[in-house]
Amino acid sequence: MTTVIEARAVVHRYGDRTALDGFNLDVEAGTVFGLLGPNGSGKSTFISLVAAMERPQAGSLRVFDAEPSGDLKRRVGTVFQENAQDPLMTPGEILTLAGRLFGISRSDAAAQGTLLLDRFGLRDRISDPTSTLSGGMRRRLEMARALVHDPDLLILDEPTTGVDPGERRALWEALGGAADEPGPTVLLASNDLAEADSVCDMVAFIDGGRVVATGTPAELKRGLRRESVRVTWTSVSEDQLAAVAVWPGVGEVVGDGDEVRLTVDDGSSLVPRLFELAGGAIRSVAIEPSTLEDAYFRHVRHRAKAPEEVPA
Amino acid sequence: MSAAAASVALFERDLRAVARSRSQLYSSMFTPLILLVFLGTGVSKGLEPSNLSAGNFTAYLVAGIVVMTSVFSATFASASYYRDRDSGILRMFLSSPNSPRAILLGKSLAGVLIGSAQSLAVLLVAAPFVEFEWQYGIVRGVAMAVAAVMLLNVMLGGFAQALASRIQTMQGFHLLMNLALFPLLFISGAFFPLEDLPAWLEILARLNPLSYAVDALLLAAYADGSDGYFGLAVDFAVLGLLAMGAYALGLARTPRLTWSGE
Repeated sequence: MTTVIEARAVVHRYGDRTALDGFNLDVEAGTVFGLLGPNGSGKSTFISLVAAMERPQAGSLRVFDAEPSGDLKRRVGTVFQENAQDPLMTPGEILTLAGRLFGISRSDAAAQGTLLLDRFGLRDRISDPTSTLSGGMRRRLEMARALVHDPDLLILDEPTTGVDPGERRALWEALGGAADEPGPTVLLASNDLAEADSVCDMVAFIDGGRVVATGTPAELKRGLRRESVRVTWTSVSEDQLAAVAVWPGVGEVVGDGDEVRLTVDDGSSLVPRLFELAGGAIRSVAIEPSTLEDAYFRHVRHRAKAPEEVPA
Repeated sequence: MSAAAASVALFERDLRAVARSRSQLYSSMFTPLILLVFLGTGVSKGLEPSNLSAGNFTAYLVAGIVVMTSVFSATFASASYYRDRDSGILRMFLSSPNSPRAILLGKSLAGVLIGSAQSLAVLLVAAPFVEFEWQYGIVRGVAMAVAAVMLLNVMLGGFAQALASRIQTMQGFHLLMNLALFPLLFISGAFFPLEDLPAWLEILARLNPLSYAVDALLLAAYADGSDGYFGLAVDFAVLGLLAMGAYALGLARTPRLTWSGE
């Protein structure tokens, strides 16, 4: 698999403040890669280096096997945290203009814009001023705008902040596009752990300017032994519970009347063994996956008052 | 991809934005025209000036009002820089592979064209009501007026952009534009002739770039019988040099894109 972004010991400072402090990361082509961390952890700084808006002061950063430069912008689409839209322009005009700024002819840009508006469910609003669109529609328009020049890397900074769950799902589904054409590599900076859990192939937790953990969401959660299995029994003996407690991968075993709650590494592999042990006595089993949030707080120190992250 | 294509795309977009902003279009046209009608008529009746090259005060005012239209238009055009910055769309422009200078060029050229078109429209609207004499013939006279108006707008556009890229807020920008440009308008010959002024005012008028535009327009449109206050050669030389200088200054400082906004 091709590596799109390769960061090695990247250091970047703003005055006395060290924003990135030995930042290491590999992002493979075709993945949706989530950067998760508190405000001020270095997410925005890293993104601005990847987008060639700034140069790293130390270490090595390669994007598409080259140092980030102005030429890289042709291959990158960006969705900023705030919308980048003129309220007087229409979605059709914005996409055509964006395409032309990336060197696409007016007619091709207009055609591509129409296709994208169709894909993002905005075809019938093509000629309305953007000021008349809802917040969710404007975010979809942002996504369409970032894709108009068919980028290889899409950088998304909190793309669904303030968007309702339905709109959020519509946005990610539209971004997935047609199954037969590979989408761009996506670098997603987010504070929404549930969203990252559902859409990211890979996640990096960032804290203090460093990557403190990286892996698939499942990998990051698996190490926690915090998947919980809730078992309701008709009858259960102390001996049976004691036997379960020493099984590999089982953490806590807490009984409360007919219900027993177990924390385990992998609930699905536990269930068959439970039925072997006491199949006739089990009324129901519910597995509640541990969340990425649990993993996040395990790796990232919690700061009640995080400083604002503002690259100078 | 050429920077020209991006500049052209932004040029067209800014033209469309102005066409859509009706209030801006009308106010920058009608304010000068209303001033022309009321101030010109009132002063003509009340004072009956006799030493004006254009014959009466209303006709005399036309050149100054054309210059004033350009001043208004340049102010509005640069306000679009702030609008684009505040709406966030400037970041979209800057995240494209074009140089920030190509982006500014496209935007400012639209401002120059709009300002020139509005100023010449004022001239056109006034034409049936005042007696232009076109001492150099109508074709040469109109060509000179068009050239003077375009140079003036390039100069004003560059000056306004230079200010806009250095002043953080639109309120501050408008304040400074009004502080700088209104006094300049008053001592440019726009509202009264520069002849027979006190020495200190005459020095200021000679230092004032707008004086050269008013002089060129008066000479182009009327039969002055003299070489005007400065003379056409001086007018165009000064306007040309200042236009180049101001435009270069306007494009010298380009906005910078940062991930977290400016």
